[in-house]
Amino acid sequence: MTARTFATIDDLQAGLLDASYLADRGLASVLFLALKLEKPLLLEGEAGVGKTEAAKAMARVLPARLIRLQCYEGLDVAHAVYEWNYSRQLLHIRAAQEGTVSEEELFGPEFLIRRPLLEAIETDEPVVLLIDEIDRADDEFEAFLLEVLSDFQITVPEIGTIQAKRRPVVILTSNRTRELHDALKRRALFHWIDHPSLEREVEIVRLRVPGVPERLALQAAAFVQGLRRLDLEKPPGVAETIDWAQALAALGSHELDPDLVESTLGSVLKHHEDLQAVRDAALADLLEEARVAAG
Amino acid sequence: MPRVSGVVGHVVTFGRVLRQAGLEIGPNRIADGLSGLDQVDLTRQDDVYWTLRANFVTRREELEIFDRAFQAWFLRTPVSPFELSPPTPQSAVLRRIHAAGRPDSAAGTDESPAARGWSYEEILRTKDFGAMTSDEFDRVRALIADIAAERPRRRSRRLRRHHRGRELDLRRTIRESLGAGGDPVHRQYRLRARVPRKLVVLCDVSGSMEAYVRPLLLFVHAVRGSGKGVEAFAFGTRLTRLTRALETSDPDRALQDAARSVADWCGGTRIGASLKTYNDDWGRRALTRGAVVVIASDGWEREESGARLLEDQMARLARQAYTVVWVNPLKGHPAYEPLAAGMRAALPHVDRFLPGHNLASLERLGEVLMGIERRHAA
Repeated sequence: MTARTFATIDDLQAGLLDASYLADRGLASVLFLALKLEKPLLLEGEAGVGKTEAAKAMARVLPARLIRLQCYEGLDVAHAVYEWNYSRQLLHIRAAQEGTVSEEELFGPEFLIRRPLLEAIETDEPVVLLIDEIDRADDEFEAFLLEVLSDFQITVPEIGTIQAKRRPVVILTSNRTRELHDALKRRALFHWIDHPSLEREVEIVRLRVPGVPERLALQAAAFVQGLRRLDLEKPPGVAETIDWAQALAALGSHELDPDLVESTLGSVLKHHEDLQAVRDAALADLLEEARVAAG
Repeated sequence: MPRVSGVVGHVVTFGRVLRQAGLEIGPNRIADGLSGLDQVDLTRQDDVYWTLRANFVTRREELEIFDRAFQAWFLRTPVSPFELSPPTPQSAVLRRIHAAGRPDSAAGTDESPAARGWSYEEILRTKDFGAMTSDEFDRVRALIADIAAERPRRRSRRLRRHHRGRELDLRRTIRESLGAGGDPVHRQYRLRARVPRKLVVLCDVSGSMEAYVRPLLLFVHAVRGSGKGVEAFAFGTRLTRLTRALETSDPDRALQDAARSVADWCGGTRIGASLKTYNDDWGRRALTRGAVVVIASDGWEREESGARLLEDQMARLARQAYTVVWVNPLKGHPAYEPLAAGMRAALPHVDRFLPGHNLASLERLGEVLMGIERRHAA
């Protein structure tokens, strides 16, 4: 299996659109560079602007297998790279009760459980390796990751060094809960994803929610854009706009009205305080604004 | 594509411009940028822009600088020259910090602390920072560094090898069992490591706190030495992040850098608004979650409507933080009562309320921080 190649940024942008992902010129450019230069890409941005989605879309468009490593505090080599299959090893020792079991036999590839990083390095297929929310993993893991990303090889002491046959496309995402190491940043291309403009958000909604009435898509997007200007604890992302539009379309509505917004606002705002604040103060104004925007 | 040699020159000079503006652009970056340009259409301005941006920028804060430099260099738009650091405010405190930085400032006296005896040190321990001479303060500084060496800890999810651990270390156990023909005779265990808890310090640098800012920041600087995960902010009328300024190992230089990075050093106070900025910019990025938050301020909110805002923001902070500690130098005075509207509004959301006016009270702060084991029960 081979991955498609893209001659120009326009080609890639069109390909992503076919894969239902609307990338602006900037994002398409850096994704193109990540492919061409074989460098990891670090995507940062507020929650819900489509960082993870970008990696998934890349996997669809290439096409490549998406291997995802979700980072969390305490993530270690056993969960990110490999682990030995202890129960099989024990069984094997028991089964060979009479004979002796050599160490090489016990620590061979067939007893190895491959975790995302090793999987991505070892496989022959084209791979998009998504390292999600790297800022959640701790420093020690980041240092280890840096090593993997510079040589694309992993050493298992008992087996030896495994070198990537082809470099995976690596996409890292971060929510900036902490600063990443400079060394890691130096190794990667950087891109900041902003909330989309109104026009863009409408396009995204129409692309992701087929059959949504145009007017409704426009009003919903304008309403969410208005919410982002408010002072909320957790401003809604594009993902929330899509969820909301899906909910609204499923209810068969063609236009926003106060009752409808009231009853579905929970799919946009996930914090109780935010919901309260919007219901108490801003709802009518935002609705009016959204209606005006929709013409 | 034939490489136009002019491009190399442009990119190298552009890199130099960015370096002057404070971005870290080494030769490797330049090379990366050039190989990126090899892949795109050089006649398209936006392609050149995105390629260089992805290679030269590493954090969001640098985007604006990059954009302005790009406009100036490639689009020949006249822009104002780069001014990253605001002009240095030569405030009274800063001058004093400068003066204190000179090691010979106490050289005129021939009395060593040892000659003066232990009781002198004991007097210094309880003397209000505000009443100290600069000579006395110099003697206290070293002591401040000593008391801040420990930090509250929490259990990490990461496991370390431990002989009395709770979880079986299968990898080691299997390996050791080989010698016994597969019988796990010697079982190996792992235990959750204990790692320092995040510590966030918000220090009021307004005029009314002038005498106490220096010792408090020295304390924060010393705590920083205890490892990662310490964030420091200064606030007066607005919030400034001090973490980077305090990174220098020399405490005097760190304080100078800090004073320089704060535009409103010794100005007024807007505690509520500053806390709101903190909650919006940093709390949202989960800095507060699970952290011990120390606020050092006298609670004098200058704005009429400030107390209400302060209360809301304190509630927000307390919901996310592990423990909230408020240090108020005024509390050191026997007759003090929290009458200031700001202080009264904040107190319901504070877990520990401590003075911070002398060395003994900073010692107490150090002890409290170290002893914090359970949420809201410090």
